[in-house]
Amino acid sequence: MGLSVVGIEKFTQASAMRKMRMGRKENWVLTVGTLGWFLILILLPVAALMEEAFRHGPTAFLAGLHGEAAQKAFVLTLWTTMLAVVINTVMGVMLAVLLVRHKFPGKALFDGIVDLPFAVSPVVAGFMFIVLFGPNGFLGRWFEAGGVKIVFALPGIVLATLFVTLPFVTREVIPVLREMGREPEEIAYTLGASRWLTFWKVTLPSIRWGLIYGITLTTARALGEFGAVLVVSGNIIKRTQTATLYIHQEFVDFNYQGAFSASVVLGGMSFVLLLVMEYWKKRHQEP
Amino acid sequence: MKARFINSLFRTVLVVALTLFIVNVAFSQKERTLILGAYTVPKEAYEKEVIPAFQVYWKQKTGEVVKFEESYVASGAQARAIIGGLEADVAALSLEGDLQKVVEAGLITHDWKSGPNKGMVTRSVVAIGYRPGNPKNIWDWDDLTKPGIEVLYPNPKTSGGAMWDVNAIYGAGLMISEMKTGKPDPAYAENLLMAVQKNVKVMDKSGRESVSTFERGIGDALVTYENEILLRQMEGKDLPFVVPKATILIENPTAIVDKYVDKHGTREVAEAFVEFCFNEQSQRAFAKYGFRPVVPKIAEEFKDKYPVPEMLFDINYLGGWGEVEKTIYGADGVWTRIVERIATGK
Amino acid sequence: MKTLSNSGVLGGDVLLKTAVFSYVGILVILPILYVSFQALGQGFGKVWADILQPSALFSLKLTFFSAIGMAVINAITGVAMAWVMVRHNFPGKPIINSLIDLPFALPTNVTGLMLVILYGPVSLLGKFLKIRGIEIIYAQPGIILALLFVTFPFVVRSVQPVLMELDKDIEEAAATLGARKFTTFRKVILPHLMPSILTGVALAFSRALGEFGSVVVVAGNIPMKTQVAPVFIYGEIESYNPRGALAVSLVLLIASLLILMLLNVLQKWGRERGT
Repeated sequence: MGLSVVGIEKFTQASAMRKMRMGRKENWVLTVGTLGWFLILILLPVAALMEEAFRHGPTAFLAGLHGEAAQKAFVLTLWTTMLAVVINTVMGVMLAVLLVRHKFPGKALFDGIVDLPFAVSPVVAGFMFIVLFGPNGFLGRWFEAGGVKIVFALPGIVLATLFVTLPFVTREVIPVLREMGREPEEIAYTLGASRWLTFWKVTLPSIRWGLIYGITLTTARALGEFGAVLVVSGNIIKRTQTATLYIHQEFVDFNYQGAFSASVVLGGMSFVLLLVMEYWKKRHQEP
Repeated sequence: MKARFINSLFRTVLVVALTLFIVNVAFSQKERTLILGAYTVPKEAYEKEVIPAFQVYWKQKTGEVVKFEESYVASGAQARAIIGGLEADVAALSLEGDLQKVVEAGLITHDWKSGPNKGMVTRSVVAIGYRPGNPKNIWDWDDLTKPGIEVLYPNPKTSGGAMWDVNAIYGAGLMISEMKTGKPDPAYAENLLMAVQKNVKVMDKSGRESVSTFERGIGDALVTYENEILLRQMEGKDLPFVVPKATILIENPTAIVDKYVDKHGTREVAEAFVEFCFNEQSQRAFAKYGFRPVVPKIAEEFKDKYPVPEMLFDINYLGGWGEVEKTIYGADGVWTRIVERIATGK
Repeated sequence: MKTLSNSGVLGGDVLLKTAVFSYVGILVILPILYVSFQALGQGFGKVWADILQPSALFSLKLTFFSAIGMAVINAITGVAMAWVMVRHNFPGKPIINSLIDLPFALPTNVTGLMLVILYGPVSLLGKFLKIRGIEIIYAQPGIILALLFVTFPFVVRSVQPVLMELDKDIEEAAATLGARKFTTFRKVILPHLMPSILTGVALAFSRALGEFGSVVVVAGNIPMKTQVAPVFIYGEIESYNPRGALAVSLVLLIASLLILMLLNVLQKWGRERGT
C-alpha cells in the first residue's frame, strides 16, 4: 500500500486541524450524516412497509387480518411466545445466578454453551430438533411410542423457539448480577432472611432492569422467529403455521395486503413492547 | 426455606407442564380430520373446490363431517416433512420421485401406482410465461438463452416444480438434437440448460414463490407449470405464455400414507378422498384451475384449452426419476456441473 | 461465619444445578452433539468433502465476506450512532433511541420483504439504481444490506453504555493539553471503547453468519452466485442430504464459537479496563 505511517499521521493532523477550525460545523456534519444513514438504512424500509400496508386505507389494512388462518396463526405465535418467555425467564435467571454466584468445574465452558444458540443458524436449529425429536429420532421415538407429537406440532415449535431465545435473559442479567455484587445478598442472609426471600426481595429488584430488557428481547425474538419454524413446523395452515409463516404464505400466494398487515401488526407488537420498556425505565431510573 | 424453594419450583414446573398439556389438547382436535400434505401450486384447486366438494359428498354419504388440515410447501420439502413426522393422511406431491421417497421411508406400503391412471391425479406441461406484448420475443427455449434475458425458476433442491422445469429444458435439448441428428445429444442438452441457467435471476424455494416473484415484476421469462400460469390468468392477471414445442409432461401423484391413516383411523375417508380426486367432478375442477385432466372423457371436454405439444415427452424419456436424480441432480449430475461451470467460467 | 457463598446450598443448590444443567443439556448440548456425531460418524473424510464441494464452499465464502463487509460498515456507523446519541442533543432523540432497536423487533422475513419493496427491481429506487448499473436486490449487495439492517443495533447498544460512563473530564483534559479533537478521539476515547466495539462487532458477525429469513428473501439464492451458507444448508436439508447440511453447519458453528470465545475474552478485558 502506498500510505506510510508518517503520511497518515500528517493527514490525520491536517484533517483534525481543519475540524478544530470547523468546530460546531463538524458536530453538525457528524450528526446529520449518522442520522441520515440511520434514516436510510432502517427507517426508510419501515416507511415503505407502512406505506404498502396502508395504501388502500385502514379498512383494507384490517381486512387483511381477517380469516381464520390469520387469527389462528397469531394465536399460535402468542402461545408459543408466552411459553418460551416464561420458561426462558425462569431458566435464564437460574442460569445467570449459577454462572455468577457459583463455582463449578467447567464453568467457562458452560458459559460459552449458553451463547451457543447465537452461533447456530435458525434453520440448523430447526433441523436439529427434527433429527432429535422426530418419530425416528433419538429422543423422539420415546415420545412417538407415548403418542406425543413433538415435531410438526406445537411442542416442536416451542422447543425451537426456546433454543433460539435462550441466551437473551441470561446475557442481560449476568452483568447486572455481577455489578450488584454479593454484598446485599450476604447482608440479607446474615440478617436472617431465607434464601428464597433474599432472592425475591434483594436480588430480583436489583437485576430488575436487566431482566426486563432480557424478557423484552426474548419476546421480540420469539414473536419474529422464521427460519427455525419454517423447518420444524410443517406449515399446517391454522394448526402449525405461525404468524411469520402466515406472512410468508400470504406474500407468496399473492395476498400482499394480508402479508403486509400481518407484518405491521407482528413487528408493531414487538416494537411497542420495546417502547413501553424504555418508557418505564426512564420513569423509574431518573434520579 | 429449602422446602419452600423446592415447593415453589415444583409449583412452577407443574404450572408449566399443565399449561403445555392444556395447550396441546386445545390445539389437537379429536374430530374426524384429514391431513393433506401437498405441494404449493394446487392450493386453490384443493382449497376452493375439491375439498369442499368432498366434504359435501362425504356428509351425504356417511353423515360425517370431515375437517381438513392442509399444508402447502415445496414438494421436496413436503416429502421431507412427511418422512420426518408430519402425519399427512394424504400426500399430494409434484412428482413421483418425491412420493417414492415417502415409500422408501416405509410410510406408504400399498401399491399406489395400481390405482386409476397410475396414481397421477393431475397433469400439466412446463410452459414459459412472459410479459404482456412479449417485448423480449420469447417463443421457445432458445429465446431464454439470449443475453440480457432474465429467467425465473425455483431451486431443484427444494422445489419439485424446479425439477420439472430443468428436466423440460434438458429433455427438450435431447429431443431437438434427436430430431436433427437422429440421436439425442447430451452435450447439446447440457449446453442448452447451462445457457438458460446462466440467465436465471432468482431461484425461489417453491414453484408458487417463483410465480409470485415474476408477478412482482422480476424477470422476463418464467419457467413454470402451465397450470400456475392459467390460475393467474383465471384470477385476472395478464400473464401470456407459450408452451414450447418440446416440453415435458408433468404428472402429479397422490396417495394415502398408510402409516398415518392407520394411526389416525382415517383410512376409509382418505381412500375415499383420493378416489374422489379422480372422479369427473374433481377432474373438471382441476381443469378449471389450469390442470390437464387425466380422465380421458374430461380431457376430451377440455382439449381446446389444452393443446398437446408437438414434441411432448415424459420422465421416462429421461430414464425415470431414479435415473434423473442421479444423472441430473446428483453430485456428478448435469445440473450440479453446469452451476459450477457457470461460476468458474466454463 | 455462615454466608451465602459458603453455606453451600442455595435452598437447593443441587436442585438449581440439576434443573439448569438438564435444561441446557437437553435443549442445547444434546441436539448439537447428536447431530454433529451423526454427521461425523459417517467419516470425517466425507464431511470434509462435503465442505469442499464447490457450491458449499462458495456459500461459505460468500457468507463470510458479506459478514465481514457488514461488520466493518456497522463498526463505523455503530460507533458514530452511539456517539451522536450520547454526546449530542437534537429534537426527537428519545424516539430515535427507541427506533434503534427496531431491527430486533422485526421478524427477519419481514425485513426481507421491506427491503424488496423498497429496493427491488420494480420499485422506484430499484429502477433508478438499475439505470446506473447498481443492483442491490437479488445481487450480492442486497445480502450485505439485509445483514446491515438486522445487526445494526449490536454495535450501537454495545458502545452506548460505555460511552455514557466515560468521563468527559478525560476528554477535556486531553483537549486542554493541546490535542486536536480527532486525535483525542483516536488516542484517548477509541481505545477505551475498543472492547465494546469489538464485542458488538463479534455479536453482529456471529448473527450474520447464520442469518436466514431476511437474506433468503432478498438475495436471489443462485447457487455459487448469491446463495449464502444458511440458504445452502436449507436446500440440503430439504433434499435429503443431512450430512451436507451438517458439514456446512459445523463450519459456521465453529466459526461462531471461536468468535464468541473471543467475545468472552473481550468482555473480561473490558471489565478490567472499565473502571
